Amino acid sequence: MPVGTVLRDAATAEFFDGTARGELLIRRCDECRGPAAPQARTCPHCGSPLLSWTPAAGTGQVVSWSVVHAKGAPPIVVAIVELDEEPWIQVQLTDALPEEVRGGMRVRVAFERPEGGEAIPVFRPAN
Amino acid sequence: MNRAPVIAGLGITEMGKVYGRSAPEFAADAVRLAVTDAGLEPHQVDGLLTNTGITGDVGLSLQRDLGLRHLRLLSEVQAYGSSAGAMVQYAAMAVSSGMADVVACVFADAPLKDKSTGGGAAYAGAGGALTGWQGMAAASGIYSANTMYALAASRHMQTYGTTSEQLGHIAVAQRAWAARNPLAQMRTPITLEDHQSSRWIAEPFHLLDCCLVSNGGVAVIVTSADRAADLAQPAVHIRGWGQAHPGYVMGKDSEFGLVSGAALSGPTALKMAGITIADIDVAELYDCYTYTALISLEDYGFCAKGEGGPFVASGVLGPEGSLAVNTGGGQLSSYYMWGMTPLSEAVIQARGQGGDRQARRNDMVLVSGNGGVLDHHSTLILSPHAR
Ligand SMILES: [Zn+2]
Repeated sequence: MPVGTVLRDAATAEFFDGTARGELLIRRCDECRGPAAPQARTCPHCGSPLLSWTPAAGTGQVVSWSVVHAKGAPPIVVAIVELDEEPWIQVQLTDALPEEVRGGMRVRVAFERPEGGEAIPVFRPAN
Repeated sequence: MNRAPVIAGLGITEMGKVYGRSAPEFAADAVRLAVTDAGLEPHQVDGLLTNTGITGDVGLSLQRDLGLRHLRLLSEVQAYGSSAGAMVQYAAMAVSSGMADVVACVFADAPLKDKSTGGGAAYAGAGGALTGWQGMAAASGIYSANTMYALAASRHMQTYGTTSEQLGHIAVAQRAWAARNPLAQMRTPITLEDHQSSRWIAEPFHLLDCCLVSNGGVAVIVTSADRAADLAQPAVHIRGWGQAHPGYVMGKDSEFGLVSGAALSGPTALKMAGITIADIDVAELYDCYTYTALISLEDYGFCAKGEGGPFVASGVLGPEGSLAVNTGGGQLSSYYMWGMTPLSEAVIQARGQGGDRQARRNDMVLVSGNGGVLDHHSTLILSPHAR
C-alpha cells in the first residue's frame, strides 16, 4: 500500500529537501560528533543543542514491526528501523510479506513520492 | 491535627455509549457525585484539579460550571494516562501542606459520537492534512496509539519470547473479573480462543488486546484524615506515590518497549509507603492494552523482567488466581477513563465495597497510571489503614 501525503513544516524542511534528493538525513552533534534521530533537538550523548544534518547510509535493521489492519484497506507493515548510524526511524516496510519480517532483518531505504506531498522514506529488504 | 491525605469521595457517571452530554457536563456530574459520596457540600470544595481527555474541553471553566467560589487551588493537569495518579499526588501535597482542605480531581471525556448523527470514535486517528514529523509517521501508516503500542509489544515479544496467547490470558482473566462488576461495559466471559480469533487491529494486537472507548467522567475527593473522620465513606489513605517520565531515546540501546516507567515510579511510591511489592494485595494496573498490564507487572517486580508472559499464563490472574489484578475488568472490559479506571476500582477495593469482586485482602492497593506511549507513569499506594 502506498504511503499518504505529508507536508513540510519549519522543523522538517531540510529533511524533506533531503528526501527530494533521494537522501535520508539524520542529525550529527557539532560537539561530540554523535548521531541523533532526525527529529532530535538535543544530542542524546552529550546534551548539546548544536546539531547538524548529515546523510545516513540508508541501511539498518528492523527493531520491531507491526502489521496494521484497517477496515477497507490491505494490511500494511510498519516498523522501527535502527539505522546503522544508531538512530531509530519509524517507517513503512514495502516489498516485504508480513510473515517474512523478522527482528534484525536487514533493510535499505527507498523513497515514495506521493503526488501533492513530500518524498517519504520507506524501507525494503536489503537483499 | 492529622493532615495525612486520604481519598474520601468517588463519583462515577453513567459510562460508555452515553450520548448527548459533553465532556464538561460529565466532569461536573462526576464532581457532584464524588462530593455527595463523601458526604460533603459543593461549597466545601476549595481545590479543583482537572484532566481533559481527547475532546480537550475540560479545564479551568469547570469552576464556573460548578459554581465553586473562593478556591484555594485550581489547575489543569496533563500527563495523559498518568494524570489521575498525578492529580491525586498534587492534591495530597496540597492537603498535607495546608494549602487546601477538600480537593476534587476529575477526568471526563466524550470521544464517542452517536453514529446516527455522524461520526465514530474520535480516537480513530489522522484526519486532514498531515504535516511535520508526526505527519510523516502517520503517512507511513503509524497514525494511532494502537500502532505505537503494537511496536512496543512486538519488541518485548522478540526480546523475551512473549506470545499473543500469553497476552490473551490477561484479557480472559480481566473479563472474568468484569463479569462480577455491575459497572463494567463488557461482562460476557471470553476464552483464549475468543481472544485468538478476534480480528487483528495492529499485530501483535487482536481486538481483545485493546481497551474500550467510553464516554463519561470520574472524580475523587482528596482531603485530610482528620476531615475524613466524620464523613460518609471509609477513608482511603494515600500512603505513597511516585511518577516516572522515561524520555526514551529513539536509538540504539533504547529501553522502549522493554522497560516502562513503573520501574521508577513503583519503587518511589513503595519506599514512601514503607512497604515492598510483596505487601501489595491488589494491583489496579493501567491496561490500555494487555501488553501494558504485562510490562507493568514486570516493572513493579511482581515477576522478573521478561517473565511476564509465563507469569500471566500461570493462572495467577483472575478471580480464582492468587494475585488480584484489575479486579473491575480494567480498561479492557470495564470502562476507559484513562487513569481513573484503575484509580476508581482501587478506591472501591480499598473501601471493601467490591461486592462479588471484592479481593480477599485489601490492606495495600497499588494503582498505576500510564500515559503517552509509555512516556508518563504514576503510582499510588492506597490503604484502608492509616500509617
Ligand atoms: Zn553530542
